[in-house]
Amino acid sequence: MTSATGPAAMSSASTRAPSRRASLGQRIWTQRADYLYVLPALVVMLIVIAYPVYYTIELSFFKTPTSLQLKDKIFVGLENYTTILTSGSFWQVTWQTLIWTFFSTLFAFLLGLGAALALHGEFVGRGVLRALLLIPWVVSAVAASYVWKWLYHSDFGAIGALLVQLGLTDQPINFIDNRSTALASLIVVNVWKEFSFAMIMLMAGLQTVPEQLLRAARVDGASPWQRFWHVTFPHLAGVSTVTVLLLTVQNFNSFIIPWIMTGGGPAGASDIWITQIYQLAFGRQRWGVAAAYSVLLFLIMMVLGYFYVRALTRGDDARAGA
Amino acid sequence: MTNMQGRHRRPGSPLRRQVFAYSIALAATVPLLSSTAFAQAVDVSKWSPDYIRSIAGTETFDTAGQCGSVVPNDYSGRVSYWYTGPFEADPQIAHDQDKAFWEAFKAAYPNIQTDVQSITYNELLDKFRTALLGNAAPMVVRLQILGGVEFAAKGYLNPLKPEDVGYASADFWPGALKSVTWEGESYGIPTNNETMGFIWNAKIFADAGLDPEKPPATWDDVVAYSKQIHDKLGIAGYGLVAKQNAGNTPFRFMPEVWAYGGGALDEASANPTYETVEINSEGTKKALQTAVDMYVRDKSVPTSALTNTQAENQAPFIAGQLAMMIAHPAEYAKMLDLASKATGADKEMADAVVENMRYGLIPEGPARRAVVFGGSNIHVVQPEYVEGGQVDEQAVKALICMWTSPEWSTKLSWVGSNPGHLGGFKTEWMKERLDTIKFLDVTTSMLPNGIPFPVLPEAPEIMNIIVPDMLQNALTGAMTVDEAADDAAQKIEALRGGGL
Repeated sequence: MTSATGPAAMSSASTRAPSRRASLGQRIWTQRADYLYVLPALVVMLIVIAYPVYYTIELSFFKTPTSLQLKDKIFVGLENYTTILTSGSFWQVTWQTLIWTFFSTLFAFLLGLGAALALHGEFVGRGVLRALLLIPWVVSAVAASYVWKWLYHSDFGAIGALLVQLGLTDQPINFIDNRSTALASLIVVNVWKEFSFAMIMLMAGLQTVPEQLLRAARVDGASPWQRFWHVTFPHLAGVSTVTVLLLTVQNFNSFIIPWIMTGGGPAGASDIWITQIYQLAFGRQRWGVAAAYSVLLFLIMMVLGYFYVRALTRGDDARAGA
Repeated sequence: MTNMQGRHRRPGSPLRRQVFAYSIALAATVPLLSSTAFAQAVDVSKWSPDYIRSIAGTETFDTAGQCGSVVPNDYSGRVSYWYTGPFEADPQIAHDQDKAFWEAFKAAYPNIQTDVQSITYNELLDKFRTALLGNAAPMVVRLQILGGVEFAAKGYLNPLKPEDVGYASADFWPGALKSVTWEGESYGIPTNNETMGFIWNAKIFADAGLDPEKPPATWDDVVAYSKQIHDKLGIAGYGLVAKQNAGNTPFRFMPEVWAYGGGALDEASANPTYETVEINSEGTKKALQTAVDMYVRDKSVPTSALTNTQAENQAPFIAGQLAMMIAHPAEYAKMLDLASKATGADKEMADAVVENMRYGLIPEGPARRAVVFGGSNIHVVQPEYVEGGQVDEQAVKALICMWTSPEWSTKLSWVGSNPGHLGGFKTEWMKERLDTIKFLDVTTSMLPNGIPFPVLPEAPEIMNIIVPDMLQNALTGAMTVDEAADDAAQKIEALRGGGL
């Protein structure tokens, strides 16, 4: 096999490089070989992603009564969407979803950042500590949920027993059987599970901070906080954006922890969009309404996905424009 | 159903085959008649632990011969079947009986090929639903007692009644037959039926100043006993279960609702129409109030009741931290199993609890004594939804006849249930079960008090979602008892009207 290198290859590449003013069709034609290479993957994606998306959108316009087969579904237009948006539980669940997503993302990011900064310096046992802190991320979410459910258990939980033994409370705290504490308790578990991911991302980001800049700032008399705020953090902006977006998407779609630990209860106090969709689809067989809910969730994910791709390709655009 | 398409009998002269068939039919008539007559002889009004013991082992059955009169034993064909068979956690006897059935079926029908899948309880419904959408379902499926009505209503199932496989409807519990009936047509045959009992720890009762051998007679007594136990010993009295989206919750709460004269619809009445919503009736509210009294006022039940299923009550019970609960017939075996796995001081405690474990009837209320009528039914799928598009009617009948026979409906429900065919109660195997499974007679004697959940496609949602939601709304204080009951009534009305 030969490879084209040197001026000839560069010339060929420049000939193939599409003009920025070229139409999409021309650009595709010019780069037809590249598109052919990715065609098999595109076909697979169309089958496993595009068709389910299309079917979900189609289903969202139909009513699926429990007594009818799915093929006998009834066209109701936008009724499923209006049913969702006008139901009292929708806004409660949406509010809980926003709280869940916001605080899970915020604390996972802050904890991950703190851990990444702590592990960035050289000290004895750094490798061991890094491995230990990675454990929550690698543990199965299902297993973790069951363990935490027992730790939180309102009658025999280890946390409650410890607090009683330490004399901090008279009786075990009711973490997940109480409407006012259930969601917060689940957020703690979620943060514990996710902060390692943020830590890994930010540790990678910290490798890109130029050491000479930090040394120069130190020579100029900058305090540790000033060095972090004016030198380190600006270099982490890109990776932080990506991390926050990924955490947000993950939390918006998070299902395992709330479902296993509380099933959305008590009395709906920890119900979020994804548990609600699951319940509608598989618990109540309201496929149409669940599909409409999923379409709404999909739209939100698309918006987040757009920002994610923008954050990822920001550097590419800048280089392309240069 | 298609019949015999593409199927071939063994070669043989017509005369010889006819003589053989007539003699089989003649031989089979006697047990069939005896079976029907025997069903009338079982006096349900006498149903009690003593009566159950008195009839056990008084009748013998020739299963292969009987089914041979329905489908000749030399029939050649194929049947596909999905059911929940024994899994790793089940005792060895369940595995042995399952294996023995397939060997017996092969011996009775050597020319019928079987394509069998055993699927876990939680996966079967979803897998069956998916297979139906793709026309890849099995010919025969066994589903939990209310699983079938959804599929019957949607037109997936073939009509099927006991008479189709040589039995009489009188051979089965009326409640069980009700659970397979949709719009006046029968779509299945009961394979096994069970009811739960009430278990308590006699030592805890004694320590709390209660009569250790006397269970609470009424639900009001349960509330009082639970409070007394909690106040004196600081442990949970009654094992309330109120988890959302969990079948355990209605199985333990509805008996109380029915006892107070309430219901979700009118399922507790003699001839239910399922037209009237009774979840906000006075009876239901009274039952809901007792739950609130125990959870909120007395704090005499586990705080974790809102996230507990029955499985989470087993550990505190075996640890002597919970005094009483509604329990499955297999609960005693489960407790023995837990005790056998315990070590050191825990084992001592667990053994003591098993020793002090007592079974009794579920308490009664002002209206009645009630329990959920549980079990499973066997169904035949419409050919167009079956893989290959055909149902071999004869092979299907042969399998169902064997499975629902007095012999196999007893053996296949060995540990955790009871035979669907009432003839099973007269078999020697029932006698053996009674001799080897402690307290089986007590839970079995609850059967006449069994009330099936409403036979509606919406029943799973009403029981597994709306009822637990109502309980949680009241127990957490999110709503008052009246508000929670009215909210549940509105949800059922909306559900019946096709709303969200």
